[in-house]
Amino acid sequence: MNLRWDGEERISAPKATVWAFINDPAKIAGCLPGVESTSITGANTFDAVVRVALGPVKGRFNFKVSLVPRPADDHMDLKVTGGGLGSVVDLVAGADLASNGDDATALTWHGDASVRGPAATVGGRVLDAQAHRVIQATFENVKKALSV
Amino acid sequence: MTASIGVPMKRKEDPRFIRGRGRYLDDIFLPQMLFLAIVHSPYPHARIKSINKSKALALPGVKAVITGEDLDAAKLEWLPTFHGYDKQMVLAFGKALYQFQEVAGVVATSREIAEDAAELVEVEYEPLDPVVDPFRAREDRIVLRDDRESKTNHIYHWEVGDKAKTQAALDSSDVRIKERILSPRCHPAPLEPCGIVADMNKATGRLTAYMTSQAPHVHRTAFSLVTGIPEDKIHVISPDVGGGFGNKVPVYPGYVVATVASVILGVPVKWVETRTENLTTTGFARDYHMDVEIGASKEGKVTALKVSTVADHGAFDAAADPRKYPAGMFGIVTGSYDFPAAFAEVDAYFTNKAPGGIAYRCSFRVTEASFAIERGMDILARKLEMDPAELRRRNFVRKEQFPYPSPLGFIYDSGDYEATLNKALEKIGYDQLRKEQAEKRAKGELMGIGVSTFTEIVGAGPGKHFDILGIKMFDSAEIRIHPTGSGIVRAGTRHQGQGHETTWAQIVAEELGLDPQELLVEEGDTDTAPYGLGTYASRSTPVAGAALALAARRIREKGKKIAAHLLEVSEADVEWKEYKFNVRGVPGKSVTMKDVAFAAYTNPPPQTEPGLEATYYYDPPNLTFPNGAYIAVVDVDRATGYVKVRRFVAVDDCGVVINPMIVEGQIHGGLTEGFAMAFMQEIAFDEAGNNLNTNFTDYLVPTALETPHWETANTVTPSPHHPIGAKGVGESPNVGSPQAFVNAVMDALAPLGIAHIDMPLTREKVWRAIKNAQGAT
Repeated sequence: MNLRWDGEERISAPKATVWAFINDPAKIAGCLPGVESTSITGANTFDAVVRVALGPVKGRFNFKVSLVPRPADDHMDLKVTGGGLGSVVDLVAGADLASNGDDATALTWHGDASVRGPAATVGGRVLDAQAHRVIQATFENVKKALSV
Repeated sequence: MTASIGVPMKRKEDPRFIRGRGRYLDDIFLPQMLFLAIVHSPYPHARIKSINKSKALALPGVKAVITGEDLDAAKLEWLPTFHGYDKQMVLAFGKALYQFQEVAGVVATSREIAEDAAELVEVEYEPLDPVVDPFRAREDRIVLRDDRESKTNHIYHWEVGDKAKTQAALDSSDVRIKERILSPRCHPAPLEPCGIVADMNKATGRLTAYMTSQAPHVHRTAFSLVTGIPEDKIHVISPDVGGGFGNKVPVYPGYVVATVASVILGVPVKWVETRTENLTTTGFARDYHMDVEIGASKEGKVTALKVSTVADHGAFDAAADPRKYPAGMFGIVTGSYDFPAAFAEVDAYFTNKAPGGIAYRCSFRVTEASFAIERGMDILARKLEMDPAELRRRNFVRKEQFPYPSPLGFIYDSGDYEATLNKALEKIGYDQLRKEQAEKRAKGELMGIGVSTFTEIVGAGPGKHFDILGIKMFDSAEIRIHPTGSGIVRAGTRHQGQGHETTWAQIVAEELGLDPQELLVEEGDTDTAPYGLGTYASRSTPVAGAALALAARRIREKGKKIAAHLLEVSEADVEWKEYKFNVRGVPGKSVTMKDVAFAAYTNPPPQTEPGLEATYYYDPPNLTFPNGAYIAVVDVDRATGYVKVRRFVAVDDCGVVINPMIVEGQIHGGLTEGFAMAFMQEIAFDEAGNNLNTNFTDYLVPTALETPHWETANTVTPSPHHPIGAKGVGESPNVGSPQAFVNAVMDALAPLGIAHIDMPLTREKVWRAIKNAQGAT
C-alpha cells in the first residue's frame, strides 16, 4: 500500500532557526506524536517506539529515523523505517524551507510511505488518514515548538 | 419396516451441535500441551537475510522457535503438493514468496505467550519486486521460483478437445462472441479455521494427530511419506469439523510445524489458525481468467466453444487437483449444451500470492467452467437478440442422448435438462416476469432475470482416471450388525456438516430393513474407519454412498443364507422383499434382518462363519452429473448500484434423493455461498502484493440479513450406474448459482449497453458501471 500526503506550516521564526531545529534529532524526536520513548543513536539518527492504533490493529511500532539534510536546497528528508505487529513501514517525509520575510518561514512538506503486512491490510481503510495526521502533527509540533 | 431413503429424517448429529456439545479441534486439551504461533512475512516477495530467535526464546514460557533452516536440517522443509508436480516450502527458506507466508513457528506454554514471542522473532528481509498479476508473471521478467530447474513462472499447459476443428467451426459461424471472464480468487472461509493437536508419544513411538481434516486417511499417508514415520505409527483423528468446503483438504505448514515441535519436545502441540491466517495462507479457490469464445448459427444453434484460461496458482502449485488432471474437470465447460466442437486450454502461472486452488464446494474447477459457459451463453443470447432461456433450450443435450459423450471427453450419465428448466420457468413465472421487465424498462427501471442451466461433474474416481498421491479415488464402507439388530457403520469419508451420520444410516437401513436410528455412523478415525479418500468434490454419496449400499448388500447375501436356515427352506426359495426375507410363494412366512442378526451370533447355519459384517471398497465406473436450472430476479438501483435479489428459484436434479430435508439444507447453504461470491467476496491484492481481504470486515460472509429467500424444487433422473441412483448435491448450488446472479444483473443493465462486469458485483462496481455507461450515452 503506497500513500502520499502533503501540507504546509507557516512558522514565526527565521529560516536559520527552523533549519537548526529540524537538524537536531533530539528536537525532532520530541515532535513525533504518540512517542513512548526515543533514543538518540547518532548525529542524525534516533530510534523511536511509537504507540499505534489503526482500527483493530493496536500496538507498539519500532522505528529507525534518520535525518538527511540537503542544505544547498533548504531541504530535509526524514527517513523512517521499521514496523511492528508483523508489519513494515517505509516512510520519507521531505520538508522544504523558504523565508517568508525576516522572521517567518514557510515549511512545505510531503510524505511518501509504503506499508506492508496487517497494518496495510487490516488497518487499510484508516491507515491513510491516520498516517496523514501523524505527519501533520509532527510538523505542527515543530511550528509550536518554534513559536514560543 | 418402511422406507428410509427419501425420508426427511431429522439429522442425528444436530442434537449435539445445537446444544454446543460437538467436539471440535479447539475443544481438545491434552496434559502438558503446548501452543504454536506462526511468524508471517509482511512482504509478498523478499529474501530472508537472517532470523534472530534470541529475544523470543528469552521470553518465559517459550519452549522452541522453529525456522525453515531447522526444518531443512531435518529434511522436512519441502512438502510434495497433491498431484506431485511441485513442492511447497513449509517455512519460508531463503525467500518469502507471498505476503503472510509462514516464516517461523514459536512454541510456548500458552497461546498468548506464543503470539507475544512471535512478535519478538526478528527477521531481516531484503524486499524484492513482487509479481501480482498472472499476465505479468507470464512475461517472465521476474522469475519467482529459483528453487526450480526451469526458470519460468509458467507451471503447465493443459488442453483438451479438437483445436483445429473448433477453430474452423468458430471461423465459419454466423455469429461469434468473445469475452474475458474472471472467476476471481475467493476463499471458502469455513467458520472453524484449520488446526491440529499433534501428540507424539515417545514411549509408544506413535503420533496421534487430531486434525481438521476432510481426508484423514490421505493425510495419514502424506504424513508417513513426508516424515518417514511408518503409517501404523500414525493415527489421524478428524473430530467434528465446522465446515470445510475444500479448505481442509491440503496439508498446511502449521500441521507440519506442530508435528515437528511435538516430535522434538515429546509433548502435545496445538496449532489453531486465526481468521487472518485462514484467509491469507490456506487454500484459496478459483482465480481463473477465461477467454470464452462461442460460435453459433443465426437460428441460435451453437457450433463451437473455445476457452483459453490463464490460471493464477500463487507461489506454489498446490492446487488440489487429481494427478492426471492439473485443471481438474474443467472439461465440463461445454456444460449442458451439445457443442459439435470444443476446445479448452489452461496455462497456470506462479505469482506472489498464497498457494492453493482448492475445489471450494465444487468438483475440481467445475465452478469456474460452469461460470464461463453460463455467462458465455447469456452474452451469446444478447448478441442473437434471443431469450436466454430459449437459447439454452435449443442447445440442450436431449434426454435421449444420454449416456452423452461430450466433445471434451466425459460421458454424461443422465439428465432431463428441458424438464428441469421448464419446472424452474414455471415456478418463477418467467413469461410474466419478462412482461413486467419490459414495462419497467419503458419507465427506465432496471430489472433483470438471470438463468443458469448448469451441469456438474462429481464423484471422483473412477480410479483409472483419478488419483491423489497415486492413490486411486475409490471410497469405502464397513458395516457391523450387532446381535440385537442395531449396528455401526463406518466410512472412509469425513463429514463437515453434510449430515452423513443421518444419510449413511438411511442408505444402510434401506438396504437392510433396519431402523436408521439404531445405526451409529462413525467417520474420521483412521484406526477404525476403512481407508477412504475423504469428503470433497461432492464425492461422498456417489462413491462412499455406493460402497455403503454394496456393503449392505453383502450383508444381505449372508443374511439370506441365515434366513434360509431359520425358515428351513433352501436359499433359492428366499427372496428379499418389503424389507424382509420371504419364502417365495408363501405369504406370511418371513424373517426380518433383526431375526437374522440374532441368529448370526446365536444360531448360525452349519459351515457358516458367525457374525454379520461386511466391507466394500467402491471404485465408481463413471462420474455422476448432477444438474439444475436456477433463475434469479433482481432489481438494480440506478442511483446507488444496490442490487436487490427479489426472487431465486433453484430446481436441482441430483438423482435419487436420500434425505430431502438435508438436500434442501445443502442447497440453501450453497446458494448463500454463491450469492456471497457473486456480490461480496474476493481475495484481492494491491499492486504491491498486499492482501486486502484478511478478515471478516474486508472479506464478507452474508448473514441472514443480506441473504435472499430461496425457493427450491427438484426433478429426478437417477444415475444409471450408481447402486441407489444418487448423484450428489452438496456442491450444485455453489456451482450453479453465481452466474444466475451475474446474468440477472447484466440483464438488468442491458439497456445501458453494459456487457460484462467481473464478480464480485459490489455496489461500487455496479454504480461505476452505470455511471460510466450513462456518461457515454
